[in-house]
Amino acid sequence: MTEREPVAVVGIDCRFPGARDAQEYWSLLMDGRDGTDRVPEQRWDADRYHAVAPHTAQEARPPGRSNTVRGGFIADPDAFDPGFFGIAPREAAAMDPQQRLLLQCAWRAVEDAALAPQDLAGTDTGVFVGVMANEWAFLQLADYDRITARHGLGNGYFMGANRVSYHLDLKGPSLAVDTACSSSLVAVHLAVNALRAGECDHALAAGTNLIMTPVINIFYNQAGLSAPDGRCKPFSASADGIGRAEGVAVLVLRRLSDALADRQPVYAVLKETGINQDGRSNGITAPNRWAQQQLIESVWQRAGVTADDVRFVEAHGTGTLLGDFIEAQALGELTSGRSGGSVALGSVKSNFGHAEGAAGIAGLIKAVLALHHRTVPPSRFADDENPRLDLSGRRLSLLRSPLKLPSGTVHAAVSSFGMGGSNAHAVLASAPRAVHRGRSAAPGVFTVSARTPQRLRANLLAQADALARRPGNQLAQLCWTSNRVKSRLPHRASVAAGDLPTLVAGLRKAAEHADETAREDGGRRGVPSVAFAFTGQGAQHPRMTASWYRSCPAYARHLDEIDQLIAPHTGVSVRDLILDGDAEIQRARLAQPALFAVGYAMAATLTEAGIRPSYVIGHSIGEFAAACAAGALDVADAARLVARRGALMEKLPEDGGMLAVGLAAAEVEPLLAGRARLGVAAVNGPRSTVISGDLGELAAVEAELAGRKVPVRRLTVSHAFHSPLMRPVVEEFRRECADVSDRRPALPVFSTVHGRELSGEETMDADYWARQITEPVRFAEAADALLAGGVTHVVEIGPRAVLTPLLSRLRADGDHAVSLHSAHPGEHAPGHRPQELFGELWCAGLTPDWDLLYADADRVPRRLPPYLFDESFRSWRSGSAPRLVEPSASSVPPGADTTAVPSGADRGESSPSASAGELPDSLAALTRRLVCRVGGHDPAQVHDHDRLHEDLGFDSIRVMELKTRIEDALPRLGPLPIEDLLASLRTVADLVGYLRGQLDDSSVTPVPVTPEGTR
Amino acid sequence: MAPPTAYLASVGTCLPGDPVDNATLAKLVGVDETWAEMFIGNTSRYFAVDLATGQVRHSLADIATTAADRALAEAGLEPGDVDGIVMGTATPDHLMPATVNLVADRLGIDNVPTYQLQSGCAGAVQALDVARTLLLAGRCATVLVIGGDVCAKHLETDFDPGSRTSAELVNYVLFGDGAGAAVLSTEAMGEGIEIRQVLNRLVGLGRAPGQVIDWFGLGDRHSDRTAVFEDYKAIEEAVPVMAGQMFWELLDDLGWGAGAVDFLLPPQLSGRMSDRISAGMPAPDARRVNVVRTVGNNGNALPFLQLAELLRQWDGPGRAIAVAIESSKWIKSGIALERS
Repeated sequence: MTEREPVAVVGIDCRFPGARDAQEYWSLLMDGRDGTDRVPEQRWDADRYHAVAPHTAQEARPPGRSNTVRGGFIADPDAFDPGFFGIAPREAAAMDPQQRLLLQCAWRAVEDAALAPQDLAGTDTGVFVGVMANEWAFLQLADYDRITARHGLGNGYFMGANRVSYHLDLKGPSLAVDTACSSSLVAVHLAVNALRAGECDHALAAGTNLIMTPVINIFYNQAGLSAPDGRCKPFSASADGIGRAEGVAVLVLRRLSDALADRQPVYAVLKETGINQDGRSNGITAPNRWAQQQLIESVWQRAGVTADDVRFVEAHGTGTLLGDFIEAQALGELTSGRSGGSVALGSVKSNFGHAEGAAGIAGLIKAVLALHHRTVPPSRFADDENPRLDLSGRRLSLLRSPLKLPSGTVHAAVSSFGMGGSNAHAVLASAPRAVHRGRSAAPGVFTVSARTPQRLRANLLAQADALARRPGNQLAQLCWTSNRVKSRLPHRASVAAGDLPTLVAGLRKAAEHADETAREDGGRRGVPSVAFAFTGQGAQHPRMTASWYRSCPAYARHLDEIDQLIAPHTGVSVRDLILDGDAEIQRARLAQPALFAVGYAMAATLTEAGIRPSYVIGHSIGEFAAACAAGALDVADAARLVARRGALMEKLPEDGGMLAVGLAAAEVEPLLAGRARLGVAAVNGPRSTVISGDLGELAAVEAELAGRKVPVRRLTVSHAFHSPLMRPVVEEFRRECADVSDRRPALPVFSTVHGRELSGEETMDADYWARQITEPVRFAEAADALLAGGVTHVVEIGPRAVLTPLLSRLRADGDHAVSLHSAHPGEHAPGHRPQELFGELWCAGLTPDWDLLYADADRVPRRLPPYLFDESFRSWRSGSAPRLVEPSASSVPPGADTTAVPSGADRGESSPSASAGELPDSLAALTRRLVCRVGGHDPAQVHDHDRLHEDLGFDSIRVMELKTRIEDALPRLGPLPIEDLLASLRTVADLVGYLRGQLDDSSVTPVPVTPEGTR
Repeated sequence: MAPPTAYLASVGTCLPGDPVDNATLAKLVGVDETWAEMFIGNTSRYFAVDLATGQVRHSLADIATTAADRALAEAGLEPGDVDGIVMGTATPDHLMPATVNLVADRLGIDNVPTYQLQSGCAGAVQALDVARTLLLAGRCATVLVIGGDVCAKHLETDFDPGSRTSAELVNYVLFGDGAGAAVLSTEAMGEGIEIRQVLNRLVGLGRAPGQVIDWFGLGDRHSDRTAVFEDYKAIEEAVPVMAGQMFWELLDDLGWGAGAVDFLLPPQLSGRMSDRISAGMPAPDARRVNVVRTVGNNGNALPFLQLAELLRQWDGPGRAIAVAIESSKWIKSGIALERS
């Protein structure tokens, strides 16, 4: 980091008149469209405050009137997604909409930088907000009796930056900057300095301006600065004053070296910024040519550029005759001696007017996008250039049509001047070339998450639409970015794919099912606990998990390692047999070590990805890999034992078979009486038992059961495993196990030899492994014990889903809330199954380390569309002169904040009110009703598992209020100790539980609650 | 000021989906494997359509965008650096809008001159010719050149295998889909390969077309005209002659001797014919770069696939000649590359 280190613009989100995001802003600019409109009715009654300006300067302008009914207004400024930020609707309604829009823009800008806002939480990220309008406060705080804590905190002006820092948990500098119209470019300057000084590593530089009242219109009119048509016409012969505009924008800035080191996409580079003041110039509102000139000169000098290097200037360009003249003079002083052609000149104010506090950043974003797209948009009204400015003599050319910039480094400059004389200027350069090629045809899993199912659907479709327009060879990079940026919210969907069209189709399909997704953020079930269930013999098949080997580098590594340990004992590489699709893999001698290798490598891969087991269970041969995962068996020992075990068994005569029968184990026992060469091999479920042994005796049992219409099925096996026929190898295997250290497992092992969890003293010693050969596999009992123990997820580790269906039946019987997954469902699993599995586990609430799925070349961030917020919440306060407030507005009793939701009767204000439903019929309903009353939530959106603080935005003030409400509604309770409430309250359900504890529920007769807005 | 030089900065290609081998074709459309191998010589090809289901998985714009994006990445450039695009294809996604402009949109390129040449096997060279001209005229500094074809429109997938004549089946074996792209620049980027000459001549006066691909609209969609026609006999006779002429014309133009050519990229028709033409061409010591046998005849993409292969093989200084012949109304074309 150096003092003059360039600063990269890495993320952008903005809303301007006629443009809802940066993409639409670019279209507006390139199309040269007019973003102005008539004053929306929601703002104020335009005609009421309109008066045509007098024809001569001598005539007095009518007081309290504006000469225009037009301006640049953003769409839907009243919409906000309070729940997303954990803000109660009533609190949101009491916030300056500038704060609300800033929050959303900040989130989206960070996502646009291919960063997860959650990853910035707790960092020293700075927030610098340029703001000059404080019109909300003017409206909202004019009535002293109605000022509440909420309204005070909602004040846009002094809390704007802090709001963003608070809700995103950013701990660097956080300040609102007001230098009048140059505020947002000054904010950028301060952000650049803070980055260079090392005060922060990321900075959000922002600007905001909302027009809520005609106050400044009236002021401009009185000052003779207001354009009658509400449009700025900079440098045009028709320039006749300012048209006002709105805007909200956030840029994410970083030191260029940091951004490049992270391979982050860079829009453009800020080379230098500077600010100065007119000082005591010719009137406080008059611009000063010398101050402007000196500033530009010094910034260019520090940036190391001259007029020859600068290809275009985004001018302040308000479109007042004097302002345009002074700016042209100041700039012309520097450009008139330029060699080559002239410098392109333009101002975004021509498109929608003067966005005041957001004007500087509007111009800056235009310049940044121009450098990014390598095209400078045209300026409106340029075909009617003001000849008195002599622009061509000053080597300035107003852009009538887009200017395509050459390749290589290109420089641009941006000016923003404040009405009180605070000037700001910036020099930018195009981003350095940095191309990061990914591996072609690498698969990935794309993740999208949202706060609600409805938003999940909208966001899935937005991603699908954007991806459909991307080149096909960035698939893995795009997927990795989605994992990094979009995997933290509770409602989740994932799509694994090997090519882009499949991914796009998958996202669209997922959108259709978005409503069915459950909330998965740990809040529901607490900390997840995972069990690995290792599949037994019979699951093997040629090429099993070959796709894992190909598409998951970590799996390939683990399989290679374990193969090396096994090979000396088998004489062949089981890995090669697997990858070559060799049918030999079906022989016990190879099947057992191969299954062990696959199970071991899969478990190691998942563990490395952070999916760590809290419990293990293994079916027959699967117990060896389970024991390794639990730390009960050394891997090298296991490798030797499985090879030996398989070899011993294969040497036995092939005179046995196995029969699955749909009977309980107890019903099977009588069938075995007198059949010494038969035994129960496995108890897989309450009505699922396997008999094993001599083929002749087995045929007799089969015939008998067929007669009784009991379902039976022969298993395709070479030997009668777990039967008396295995006895001849037991002693030799026991000797083989003799030197195995009897380590205590580090994790709970649910033994299928014992049909229960291994107790404290028990180890998996020689005796255990010897017994295991002939003992039945007591899977059902062991699994039942596992499921009853509170496990949240079971992942079947093996090349086929064998245990998952068995567990599924046991889960249904026991009514356990456990999520079941099969790591590899079988031969027909897709080639990108590891990617799919990670997505599946994540959708079920786990947090895999996604990096494991991608090669380094594919771990490159790419821009994805940012989050689409819920827009159903609306709240606005219309502008009307204080003296014109209708009497009804003051009918709200004093201290209204604690007793009333802003009601429809309150003139000019609207927000959702708690619906007046029927009387609550239980404590839970009453509690929920009161919570909604206090927070202003829609009762339909409040659930028992919602957390009061994080989800519903209850702070200590709100909790106090809730306490009072509860005490009123349930007078029998008496005063509730606030410490109790705070200590025991996490979710709505907790609160109900607490209150229930305080009361005898059955005897409660709640006080009827008056529906809101009717008192 | 000396006139600029045109350099081949990079090449990118895109072949859709997995290769389709002759055994698969045998199963899906009833092609005889041995016959395919012996008479045509192609062993695999790629299709934008899934032959088994008839589902079209990629458009020309899709694969051309991917190829172009790869070429840009290979050159270390971003879409904003491109100041002109030229594309050649015989099978545009639509007659309007031109596919080149859809590709530009997908790449995020705007406000630059774009051209689409309606062309066959010589299309890539024609596109390179236009691009080079733009560079030499000083109009552009970085031009993206694209060529590609998809034949999904001409592949019927829902017929009964075995019901087709061998003439009809030739097309399945011979053709394939693909796209290629190259970045041309006045800067000596990439491996510093200079495009010394591009030639391009119509020689069809009075000569019947050797290949016709028709198109149909609402008014004539029920017409019984053949959608695709090829005069293989005429092609087999004329292409070797024209290829030889073009080779010598390039050499004469540059004053090169045949012995100084290190690489030769011959016209690509089918695996078997290309080998024959390749063997019969002058400069016996020049290393041949043939690709059609494994990628199929994908028209405007072929020269880019050859160039990509050339770049893989080419180390150090040397000279390369590429020749492409279009048998529709007969165009001979060629390029000369040199690295010093």
